[in-house]
Amino acid sequence: MSSVTSPNPPGALRKGPGIASALRPTSMRWILRFFGSSIGKKYVMAVTGLLLVGFLVAHLAGNLLLYADESGGKFKAYAEGLHDLGPLLWAAELGLIGLFGLHVFYALQTLRDNRAARQSRYAVSASRGAKTLASATMPITGAIVLLFVIVHLVHFRLDDAFKGDDPAGLVKSTLASPLAAAIYLVGVGALTLHLSHAIQSALQTLGASHPNFNPVREKLGLGLAVLLGLGFASFPVYALIAWGGGNS
Amino acid sequence: MVPMVQDAGRSTRLDSKEPSGPIADRWSQHKFNLKLVAPANRRRFQVIVVGTGLAGASAAATLSELGYKVKALCIHGSPRRAHSIAAQGGINAAKNYQNDGDSVHRLFYDTVKGGDFRARESNVHRLAEISTQIIDQCVAQGVPFAREYGGTLANRSFGGAQVSRTFYARGQTGQQLLLGAYSAMMRQVGSGALDLLPDREMLDLVVVDGVARGVIVRHLRTGAIERHAADAVLLCTGGYGNVFYLSTNAKNSNVTASWRAHKRGAFFANPCFTQIHPTCIPVSGSYQSKLTLMSESLRNDGRVWVPKAKGDRRRADQIPDEDRDYYLERRYPSFGNLVPRDVASRAAKERCDAGFGVGETGMSVFLDFRDAIQRDGEATIRAKYGNLFQMYERITGEDPYKVPMRMYPAVHYTMGGLWVDYNLESTVPGLFVLGEANFSDHGANRLGASALMQGLADGYFVVPATIASHLAGRVLPKVTTDHPAFAEAEGAARAMTQRFLDLRGTRTVDSYHRELGLLMWDECGMARTREGLAKAKARIAELREAFWQDIRIPGDAENINQELEKAGRVADFLEFAELFAEDASVREESCGGHFREEYQTPEGEALRDDENFCHAAAWEFQGQGKPEARHVEPLTFEYVKLTQRSYK
Amino acid sequence: MSAASPTAVQGAASPTGAAGTKQGLKLVLKVWRQGARGAPGQFETHELQNVSTDMSFLEMLDVLNEGLIREGKDPVAFEHDCREGICGSCGFVINGQAHGPQKETTVCQLHMRSFRSGETLVIEPFRATAFPILKDLVVDRSAFDRIVAAGGYVSVNTGSAPDANAILIPKDNAERAFDAAACIGCGACVAACPNGSAMLFVGAKVSHLAALPQGQSERDHRALDMVAAMDKEGFGDCSNHLECVASCPKGIAGTNIAQLNREFAKASLRSGSR
Repeated sequence: MSSVTSPNPPGALRKGPGIASALRPTSMRWILRFFGSSIGKKYVMAVTGLLLVGFLVAHLAGNLLLYADESGGKFKAYAEGLHDLGPLLWAAELGLIGLFGLHVFYALQTLRDNRAARQSRYAVSASRGAKTLASATMPITGAIVLLFVIVHLVHFRLDDAFKGDDPAGLVKSTLASPLAAAIYLVGVGALTLHLSHAIQSALQTLGASHPNFNPVREKLGLGLAVLLGLGFASFPVYALIAWGGGNS
Repeated sequence: MVPMVQDAGRSTRLDSKEPSGPIADRWSQHKFNLKLVAPANRRRFQVIVVGTGLAGASAAATLSELGYKVKALCIHGSPRRAHSIAAQGGINAAKNYQNDGDSVHRLFYDTVKGGDFRARESNVHRLAEISTQIIDQCVAQGVPFAREYGGTLANRSFGGAQVSRTFYARGQTGQQLLLGAYSAMMRQVGSGALDLLPDREMLDLVVVDGVARGVIVRHLRTGAIERHAADAVLLCTGGYGNVFYLSTNAKNSNVTASWRAHKRGAFFANPCFTQIHPTCIPVSGSYQSKLTLMSESLRNDGRVWVPKAKGDRRRADQIPDEDRDYYLERRYPSFGNLVPRDVASRAAKERCDAGFGVGETGMSVFLDFRDAIQRDGEATIRAKYGNLFQMYERITGEDPYKVPMRMYPAVHYTMGGLWVDYNLESTVPGLFVLGEANFSDHGANRLGASALMQGLADGYFVVPATIASHLAGRVLPKVTTDHPAFAEAEGAARAMTQRFLDLRGTRTVDSYHRELGLLMWDECGMARTREGLAKAKARIAELREAFWQDIRIPGDAENINQELEKAGRVADFLEFAELFAEDASVREESCGGHFREEYQTPEGEALRDDENFCHAAAWEFQGQGKPEARHVEPLTFEYVKLTQRSYK
Repeated sequence: MSAASPTAVQGAASPTGAAGTKQGLKLVLKVWRQGARGAPGQFETHELQNVSTDMSFLEMLDVLNEGLIREGKDPVAFEHDCREGICGSCGFVINGQAHGPQKETTVCQLHMRSFRSGETLVIEPFRATAFPILKDLVVDRSAFDRIVAAGGYVSVNTGSAPDANAILIPKDNAERAFDAAACIGCGACVAACPNGSAMLFVGAKVSHLAALPQGQSERDHRALDMVAAMDKEGFGDCSNHLECVASCPKGIAGTNIAQLNREFAKASLRSGSR
């Protein structure tokens, strides 16, 4: 006999509370519950995502120094300044990796939840106009960004030449290759699309939503995404046009 | 079926248990006199509540809070889908927050008078008393009633009441009240105190040693036939308006639970008392599956009219004022468009029958907002009625801001129902009947915004007190579902199902239902005659005969089978309809929603016969195919003087 | 998609209509047929002639079913009751859209004038793991009831309420509460969500009660318990597509989701070891 008191469908689709299971003291139980919940996961993604956006803003600001002088001296000074931070830089980078890792980890978790929650598809798929290209492709653009970040790190952070005399030169020579420029454009394009949904979505997840404020929030998110996208895309474009376009 | 016999005079079988003494003290005195079940003993009693509309949900929640073991059965997948949800206008309460002279006594008086003196005074007074507590309870639950800027509750005048005593939540008061009762019930479900069994349709009442001790239900999703035993059974299964096929009731609303309880010994009272609501969207075609009500509040600003010339086919906006007949304002100068529902409905029918109706079929009248829009501006009208106007446009494709609405009366509510005493207990001990399902406190006509009030009064406040008279007052030996009475009832239910499946006829259940509905509407609708009712009875019997030969039910009983569900309900309607017609033909007077053309004043108003019919008629089932016996509960009026209603 | 043999069903011609003799619609219906929970399903094709534009969508299905029964076939099962857009019983997907193409309209209030003659309509049940399909277009939405049972109420026993006007509620708060309370529990939000998330439904109930003073004492418990129940039922996570909002027949706003997020976070922080 089925009644509402005894749930008939097996509800436990979700696995444990993820990484938070490391925390055991009873006074911390709310943390387990929070990070294991659907909303908690989205909070983690929103907070890590927004912090990463903060990093992108700083990163772009630093990169823009490439345009400051022909010689690349200012950019070099900026790079050296960062390296001089020593352990602090390491800590910051570890922090970034942590943010990125959490973001990806929870993205995979929610992707799994969402797949499980909707196992069959409609024969006709039609949006009512709320879903956007950006919102519908978050996992894909996210994956592209992830791959791109790896390539990007290999190109610059892990290349010892970057610590050398002419980091700006390395940027120019790397990006001057049409293939590399194309990779960068695709990566930045995916990032822009990702952010065009992500920023306003993260704010909504964090609870920043009000009829009066929502249009602003949406425009702000889109605007910041486009600015970052244009900023980052300018380097490969500029590299192709101004820094040679030939081989390095 | 053999013609039914009449057994006039007071029946010894009907003990109303009405208290005596000053009317304002009767309910509290009665409560004091009632037996009690001690808190620790309550968990020993199993109560089954059938139906989870306002009456059922509120009763189930409250009894569970009190500590009784409660099982709530509902026909829907979720209790929140019960048809109480569709009530639009509001709920009355004698709070007198508006300081306009309202009081418990005035609400009592208005209800007795509005019901055309066919309700029990004691019950109506109790209802008026309890009305104020209902509002308190609902507000505490978080029902978002309309408010004034100062934060106090807003009220409006409704259905011609001369005080503002109606509380409302936009045009969705029923929804909000039901969600309140539903949430109270779900709280008990969540705590494990209440067993909620959705998707169950009651097929029979189980009576052991003359006492209601359980029900047989069908699980509508698995087809399983289940037995549930209890110490008391509460029927909260709504009205029977769908005997007309087209009504404002939901598609699943039916008489089955009441009718099958009737066949087990519960008397059915005043089945001919039905309410026709004056403002519904007219029928548009033969496929029409239901009718949609437009809140009566529209008559506060809309003016009802038809052309003065028969068959005037001009568009409404091309008919100048001098060619319009604002017939309600003409006939009832003091109440105008706000006359009670029965009066407004009959007036619309009279105009249409006389050939003045509008629309393609000529079966509608205009409800025109032109003047109100000119007076108050479109924005004001939109703020008041926006959702109703939108609903109208959805359904008809016409914009009521530009062209007048077209309206026609439709069956809306049934005042008749299972007979109950002051404790809401039927003639089967242990079977209580609440809400629209009982024959109720509305007499022959219900006032607007009083249905929600009655459903919640019965469930929150009356039955939780009176049920103890049964549980503590009778010796209830333990009965389990192994009792032969359960086997017998289950066998009967299974046999009926099998009979349906074996028929393999040619017509659908709906086609019979539609035919029955049309017949009822023509002969037992807004105006009834002796000849028409006789014709109806004969025709119903023929239809029933044909139905039992010729319906086709596809599929089997082991799964969802909506045709099988409908078949059982229509089979009951086909039996019930005959009793309905019989009741209407025996009641040779006009009162409230029951209008016999033979009995009217020279002005065409209802003419009561208080000498012969100042009573409730309760029918006793005496066996399949046998005539029902008519019992009479005389009604006395000590506090409201019997007068002819006048709305001139 | 395996199509059964097309069935021609004569629709009821409208005797009314502004134009007098209106030509009805010719429609091709591809309807999801599934025998029972967990059984495989497929689309079945039917042609309808002369469908009156004044019919509601459900009345059109009534006509289809009437014909199917006469032919000795199994009618299409679909849930419905009030047919005036308030009970929340009806709901399926028409051409990929929950409740069909008209904004803020349930299928029972959707009328055939919204379609053109010659159209093919693909009719499917709501699809979500938490709403198992029971038969044809009927799905089990009892998960919603279990979520409400977890905390969607104010705990007040009958009889213990203070006078109604003792609780003053600013008009705007009452209106906000109502806007959220207007939810009919039809499940279109879940059906329309690419993630099968119930955040709009839960958000609406939590916001309704959070806007009122009566709802304050259990505010934290409510948010925590309802979200836990929601997660247990196997609904997805919110990605803020807001297809739910666009599909809601009652216009429940997306701000309710953000409010649920806030309520849940605040409640989590305050809950300590509970």
